[in-house]
Amino acid sequence: MDLYAQRKIYSVSEITADIKLALEKFGVLWVKGEISNFKHHSSGHMYFSLKDDRAQLKAAFFRNNNYYLKFRPEDGLEVLARGRLSLYEPRGDYQLIVEYMEPVGLGSLQLAFEQLKQKLRAEGLFEENHKIRLPLLPQKVGIVTSPTGAAIQDILRILRRRTASLDVLIYPARVQGAGAAEEIAAGVNYFNTRSDIDVIIVGRGGGSMEDLWAFNEEIVARAIFASEIPLISAVGHEVDFTIADFVADLRAPTPSAAAEMVSGAREDLRATVDSLSGRALQAVRLLIERRRSALERLARNRAFNIAPNKVRELQQRFDEAATAMTQAMARRLTALRHRERMLHTRLVKVDLRQLIARQREIVAGKRNRLHSAARVLLNSRRSKFEVAVGRIHALSPQAILERGYAICREANGAILRDAARVSAGEPVSVRLARGEIGCRVERTEV
Amino acid sequence: MKLKDFESNLKQLEEIVAKLEGGDLALDQALELFEEGVMISRFCNAKLEEAERKVETLIKTADGDLTEVPFTAEGGEPAH
Repeated sequence: MDLYAQRKIYSVSEITADIKLALEKFGVLWVKGEISNFKHHSSGHMYFSLKDDRAQLKAAFFRNNNYYLKFRPEDGLEVLARGRLSLYEPRGDYQLIVEYMEPVGLGSLQLAFEQLKQKLRAEGLFEENHKIRLPLLPQKVGIVTSPTGAAIQDILRILRRRTASLDVLIYPARVQGAGAAEEIAAGVNYFNTRSDIDVIIVGRGGGSMEDLWAFNEEIVARAIFASEIPLISAVGHEVDFTIADFVADLRAPTPSAAAEMVSGAREDLRATVDSLSGRALQAVRLLIERRRSALERLARNRAFNIAPNKVRELQQRFDEAATAMTQAMARRLTALRHRERMLHTRLVKVDLRQLIARQREIVAGKRNRLHSAARVLLNSRRSKFEVAVGRIHALSPQAILERGYAICREANGAILRDAARVSAGEPVSVRLARGEIGCRVERTEV
Repeated sequence: MKLKDFESNLKQLEEIVAKLEGGDLALDQALELFEEGVMISRFCNAKLEEAERKVETLIKTADGDLTEVPFTAEGGEPAH
């Protein structure tokens, strides 16, 4: 008998193919295990092993299935993976091709939330000192929300009630579903490009964790962190906390609450301004009052009476002195009058006419003496004068001519004294006492 | 910005009141400060009294820009 003929002899390929079929018979199955050797390729594919304390199973989680994963798989994480077993013949490797995976215990969303929260907290995105204060009196608020949702209606209703003049600009965005996070982030970024927005509200109404998920996405968190305009997150109900709430400058438990936050100040501010005005008025009144009473006190002070008293005293002295002086003057006047009367009396006793006549006599006598003296003087002077005149006269050329002398002049008019100066025949003129004759020299005798 | 004006005005008003309440100002100084305070509080009250409000939403125009239009209660479509 042929022992070998009864055994089935498989080739490697054959047995491998059979094993593959057997594995594929499992169909879709769930495996629970701990992730180890996790690698996330740049291709997007994830490769890891699932293990427990005794065995391990290789796994592959390709990109087209893993893209939706919210949480980050990491070594040590216990997961539930759903997929199919497969065998890679060339290498004889079998592995679980994962179609879906979720963490055991925490929901995957929950896990993703915790992971992102830790990561961003470590980066400091939640720090208090990075949060900006809301402006006291905002003029324009930008709201990133769904234009058809309940949140915007709540907000507008509150604003209408509470404040007259807050302008609103809405950036319509999807608030759930694919792409919502990108739209919300775009809205926050857009408002930051404008210069007229004073505060931003990002929000939506209530919902499940999936509904609110966009507000847990990293892109929204980073956009909120980067916002230089103060930002309020108002997502869902009081109990819902999203990553956006942690990063925002302020968290409102509901959209209505956010509306109150931006508008509440107005009444308080009015009260503050009124109170300050009142205090200012009071303070000034008090100051004035204090000054006034200080002034009055001073005025009442004795020191201020010293001057009036002194003045009165001086006044009195002046009056007395004036009186005394007047009296003295009067007395003097009287005395003078008396003297004048006395003199007058004496005066009239004198006979003035006699006095005048006597004086006249004296004057006349003096005048006569003056005249006779003058006459005498005059006569003596006249005789002296006449004597002098006679003497002059005797000496004058005319007197000499009268005595018979003549003046002879040459032809040129020069007086002739020397006969030698002329010769016979020359004309000469001769002046006599009376008249003149023209002569011709007949002879000369020297 | 108007905003800063309100806040810094309010701050100034508080400072003025503190100075006036401090008590040892010269009288004419106090009156000057008081006048300034009155002007500031008038400005603040005017700001608080402003009563216009616009509610607008952004929509995308044909060439891809965003523009503002009045917002009606029914709302509009998302910007994207």
